[in-house]
Amino acid sequence: MNESTSDVDSRDRMLIQRMAAGDRTALEALYRAYHGGLCRFLSRLTRRADLIEEIVNDSFWIAWRKAGSFHGDSRVSTWIMGIAYRCGLKALRQRGDQPIDDYAMREGRGPSHDPDEDRELRDWLAKALEHLSADQRVVVELVYGVGNSLEEVAAIMQAPVGTVKARLFHARIKLRNVLPTLAGDPPAQQENLS
Amino acid sequence: MTIPMNSGKDCARAWEIMPWALQATAPGEQCDWLMHHLAQCEACSTEFAQQSRLRCALSLPADIPVDADAGLKHLLERLDAPEPDTTPARLWSSGNRLTRALAIAVLVQAIGIGALGVRLWSDQAPRYHTLSQPALLEPAGAFRVVPATGMKLADWNKLLHDLGLRVIDGPNDVGAYAVVPIGDDVSSASALRRLRADRDIRLAEPVDDTP
Repeated sequence: MNESTSDVDSRDRMLIQRMAAGDRTALEALYRAYHGGLCRFLSRLTRRADLIEEIVNDSFWIAWRKAGSFHGDSRVSTWIMGIAYRCGLKALRQRGDQPIDDYAMREGRGPSHDPDEDRELRDWLAKALEHLSADQRVVVELVYGVGNSLEEVAAIMQAPVGTVKARLFHARIKLRNVLPTLAGDPPAQQENLS
Repeated sequence: MTIPMNSGKDCARAWEIMPWALQATAPGEQCDWLMHHLAQCEACSTEFAQQSRLRCALSLPADIPVDADAGLKHLLERLDAPEPDTTPARLWSSGNRLTRALAIAVLVQAIGIGALGVRLWSDQAPRYHTLSQPALLEPAGAFRVVPATGMKLADWNKLLHDLGLRVIDGPNDVGAYAVVPIGDDVSSASALRRLRADRDIRLAEPVDDTP
């Protein structure tokens, strides 16, 4: 954990303590601090903005009520991400939805004010993630996007570390095979690993 | 499973380190080793560049517009809303039809068992009488009759039928049966006389006369 991560976690723990005491300004601060990251994380599960807001709010509703029982066994970000992941799966299950399989679905994507470079990068990413399962997308997001360790991802997804490691490995293999093609380059030469 | 070719163990090691080097969580010596390897291995260098671009793309803000202010407002409104009833009422409203159906079935069963229990409890006296039970109190007009040991059952039944009598108890320890007239039109005195006249009847006495 680098120093800035440590500082952020210390700040978040203070906010959680204040939330446990009923301080709503602490809740607001934590909400704003995590809103962007949670929305991006949940966008790997669903492309519906209304559902993402509902899941974020469900997550903070739980965090508000459970703040007193947070003992600091993990980083606050890991705790909140875990809650959001479970709320996301539950919300999708209640609606009979599955995590999006067609990641290329364009609804709601690509604000028009995107710089061209960002838009190109988003398109490239969307096409790449399209080749992954929902679980693989979540692992890739948590490792590359959020910066979680394998152990933290395992805690968030409530899965064994070995499972997370396998998901990451297979996701990387798929991405390694498609990313050069998407970028217009020939795929890297491969060989089987016995 | 596949890994980049043309380097064997070094490329596999580089593959393992890349995500954590990108996160800046890999130990310094691993990062140094990776940079050294990337400078010599074109395939891993290309792979690392792809992963760097992937990380960059994943770090972009969410591409789905979700208004944080509106969401926070909704959350605070939810906190201010009356606390939902978390006990049975919530259970009923939240849900599951199968659970409700099962609960109703259990309730109906409980009511049925209760009603059956009350009925059984109220039926204190059974509507039958076994021969092993203590003798009943004989009603007025009953006789005690002792048939001869050798009397056939068919003769005994015929005699009772002819006299309009039926057995209500017995035989007791001395082989006596209690019999009563079946209808009001049967004369007790006449029946008693005919019983005593039968050669297979050893004893016939009215109960009322018993000391």
